[in-house]
Amino acid sequence: MSRHAQETDLALYAAGDLALHRRAGVWLHVRRCEECAASVEAFRADRLRMQQSAADLPDGVDWDSLSAEMTANIRVGLAAGECVAPRARKAVVLPWKPAAVAAGVTVLVVAAFWLNMPFADTQALGRVFRGIAHGGRLALSPDERGTVVEASFDGVELRENGSRLGIEQTGLTPVTFSVSAQGSASVRYVDDDTGQVTIASVYVQ
Amino acid sequence: MLAGALILNAQSVSQKIDLGGKDSPLGFIGSDFQPSNATVRGGAYFVDVHASLSMRNSSQRRIRSVTLVVLAQEVTPAGKGSVSVPGLNVAPGEVFSVRIDMPLVRPLSAGGGPSVEVKLDGVLFDDMSFYGPDKLHSRRTMTMWEMAAQQYRARLKTLLEASGGSAVQAEIVSSLARQADRAQPGVQMVMGGRSTNAEPDRELKFAFLEIPESPVQPLGGSARIAGNEASAPRFEVRNRSGRAVQHVEIGWIVRDQQGREFLAASMPADLKLAPNQTGQIAQETALRFPERVTIQSMTGFISSVEFGDGDYWIPGRNALEIPRLREVVAPSPEEQRLAQIYKKKGLQALLDELKKF
Repeated sequence: MSRHAQETDLALYAAGDLALHRRAGVWLHVRRCEECAASVEAFRADRLRMQQSAADLPDGVDWDSLSAEMTANIRVGLAAGECVAPRARKAVVLPWKPAAVAAGVTVLVVAAFWLNMPFADTQALGRVFRGIAHGGRLALSPDERGTVVEASFDGVELRENGSRLGIEQTGLTPVTFSVSAQGSASVRYVDDDTGQVTIASVYVQ
Repeated sequence: MLAGALILNAQSVSQKIDLGGKDSPLGFIGSDFQPSNATVRGGAYFVDVHASLSMRNSSQRRIRSVTLVVLAQEVTPAGKGSVSVPGLNVAPGEVFSVRIDMPLVRPLSAGGGPSVEVKLDGVLFDDMSFYGPDKLHSRRTMTMWEMAAQQYRARLKTLLEASGGSAVQAEIVSSLARQADRAQPGVQMVMGGRSTNAEPDRELKFAFLEIPESPVQPLGGSARIAGNEASAPRFEVRNRSGRAVQHVEIGWIVRDQQGREFLAASMPADLKLAPNQTGQIAQETALRFPERVTIQSMTGFISSVEFGDGDYWIPGRNALEIPRLREVVAPSPEEQRLAQIYKKKGLQALLDELKKF
């Protein structure tokens, strides 16, 4: 016999617990294999000895009651462990569709409010927010007090209530600029090729 | 998403062009308003106008200057601008173009979406006659440009006749050098008085450049000075001519702590003065220079006068030879145009251009 039956199968066979479809195979093998037959006999002898030992236990041992008590102790232990372990937080799952609708409505309301406010008011509101962001100081910078016209070789820039507006001719640099105390500023451009002079002016008043 | 919102926010601009009635000397040929667009910011459209207009001179005279009003909203600050083209020489029937690059503001409350109106303010002809509604006083401005242009061309022609092309060349080279050396720091003008009260101010009196031929004489003047800011300028002037005066413009020169002088601003004033009458000019404005500039002294000069009969005076070439004026006063548009022709195309092209006038 080149191959023996598994030890677990032999043990189950000796106790009569082996599954029916495997029992026949092990029975045939044990009939022809002395070594495995010896193992089966050894398992049967051990089983008989254990049954005799169990018979030596004190009278009155209730196996069902003992099993129930052990189960209860295990459950108490598990509950105590949960109390000591960090408490797992319950994840609050909001439904995403109502949240998206609420966000969209908020954006729409803010945009409508912003677009319909007078221009100066939006600028003033922006300054208030900036002031809060910078520690609550709401004092205006000199640039923001009234209308300012700035002329330089970068062009003409109008500043009012913190907003800026500039004149800049595409591809050309001003050759001259001027400011009039009556409330206008001008920049002069010269076309490189033709020499044609163009004077652009912005009027504050 | 934000970029998408901005793209959606940029709107095309509708335009209206009005070059005058049936008697207008300008005929509309065509326009291109690409890539003009408007963006909503706060409660207003910011209209970025980039346009080119082609027009025909449908009059029987040569056109010297044109001024167009570019309008997004008449009464809004920065709702109105203008584009002027001096130094033209457009013959009857000829087509010419004007380039417009200008940002304007139009309140949303004005309704009707972003729109721009281009209107004719005035045309100046070679005989100094004028056509147009003149809402921006472009007649005065364009007449003075043309007077300065005639002065400069006359000077060059005199040099050419007396000393030949090399003298013209020397004059133009000198002009280019002056233009390159001319100092002019940026300047801010604050409407309605001082922009800051952080520094105590002091009164500083104006000195004056005397131009003997000026029909108006400056008698005195002062402004409040605080660091790099000058405010509330006041002048007293006298009409020393025998003609009534209705408009005076004073040039305002500032010297800084390093001794550099520059033309800071002009102070135009509608001032009716009978012969020998004195009058006051005052403006509630403030000029502010870069922080590195500290105002040490100020000088004024009469830069133009309009008489009651519609005639004009500007400083002659002799006055402009006064070294201090020569250094600070901006070259006339015609001087810059001719200098550019010389720089780009050479002396012969400049001489050919002079022959056209």
